Amino acid sequence: MMQSSPLNFRRAVIWIGRLVLGGIFVYAGISKLIFPNTHLWPMFVLRFSISVNLSSFAQQVESYKIISPEASQMVAHILPFVEIALGLLLLIGWRLRIWATAITGIMVGFLAVVTRAYLLHMDINCGCFGTPEKLTGWTVVRDSAFAALALVMTIFVFLEARQPHPWSAPEKASLISDH
Amino acid sequence: MEVFSDFQCPACKTLFMTTNRQLLESYVSTGKVYLIHRDFPLPMHAHSVVAARYGRAAAQIGKFEQVEQVLFQNQEKWEQTGDVDGTVAGALSAAEMAKVRALVKGGTLDAAIDKDRKLGQMYNVSQTPTTVFHCKGQTYPYGGAMSFDTLKQFLDQLLSQK
Repeated sequence: MMQSSPLNFRRAVIWIGRLVLGGIFVYAGISKLIFPNTHLWPMFVLRFSISVNLSSFAQQVESYKIISPEASQMVAHILPFVEIALGLLLLIGWRLRIWATAITGIMVGFLAVVTRAYLLHMDINCGCFGTPEKLTGWTVVRDSAFAALALVMTIFVFLEARQPHPWSAPEKASLISDH
Repeated sequence: MEVFSDFQCPACKTLFMTTNRQLLESYVSTGKVYLIHRDFPLPMHAHSVVAARYGRAAAQIGKFEQVEQVLFQNQEKWEQTGDVDGTVAGALSAAEMAKVRALVKGGTLDAAIDKDRKLGQMYNVSQTPTTVFHCKGQTYPYGGAMSFDTLKQFLDQLLSQK
């Protein structure tokens, strides 16, 4: 007899977190690369499309007025790829503690930046998904929800990592009761 | 290249200040590219229609480049105060400014601005700046600002196509 169901509350939250946050991160990264300009062929047109999209994203990063224009360019050209990689790693589930922690750190960072912009009444685009999206209170609420999910998921990942997997753990209780 | 632009748009200012100047020197003045400014004032910008009118009026007296420059350079000031007239006056002589004011008051400029807007809608322009490239029968609309280095590579590739 198994000690515990493999699908307990913590594991369910971890799965939901992986799917939701992993999917969102992959989408966010891809959308920054290909939206709004999606000219794909020939190759030099595709390169130009991606360059223009990343330039626009750099402007959105700069509009938060936190880092310099040069640093905004660097962030804009790195962040989409980081988002895609982290999203995929979360979906795959490899080394979950590391990547869940990284995603939580990033989500908390995003939340801080967006909240600051909202409290300063900055009339800017969020820059979250590659297309113009005005930064409003709902952006703060949405990011808060994602950050909370990421945090809870990460805590549960660490807690579950301490437990033996229910299907591999020795069934001590049943062994004792049989004798 | 048709550039759909809004004088009150920060991204349009960036495109003008960082890319268009080099574009004018390297490609427009050498006859490789024909650059057309199209007005596409966005509804969320309170003074962009007024600025577009002044730009149009300046174009009619042959002073568009000077007015475009002074409007973009001082964007942060006039978007707060709404003083487009005072900003433009800083780039023109008294006589030129009188002509511009007369044209703006005449009310005949809105038709041209609307025509540009409708053209933009035909290209599905939804943001500014949007640049529409026309080359050898192909049309490439691009939304967003672009650096001159990236634009240069793209233009060179387009121009080298047979």
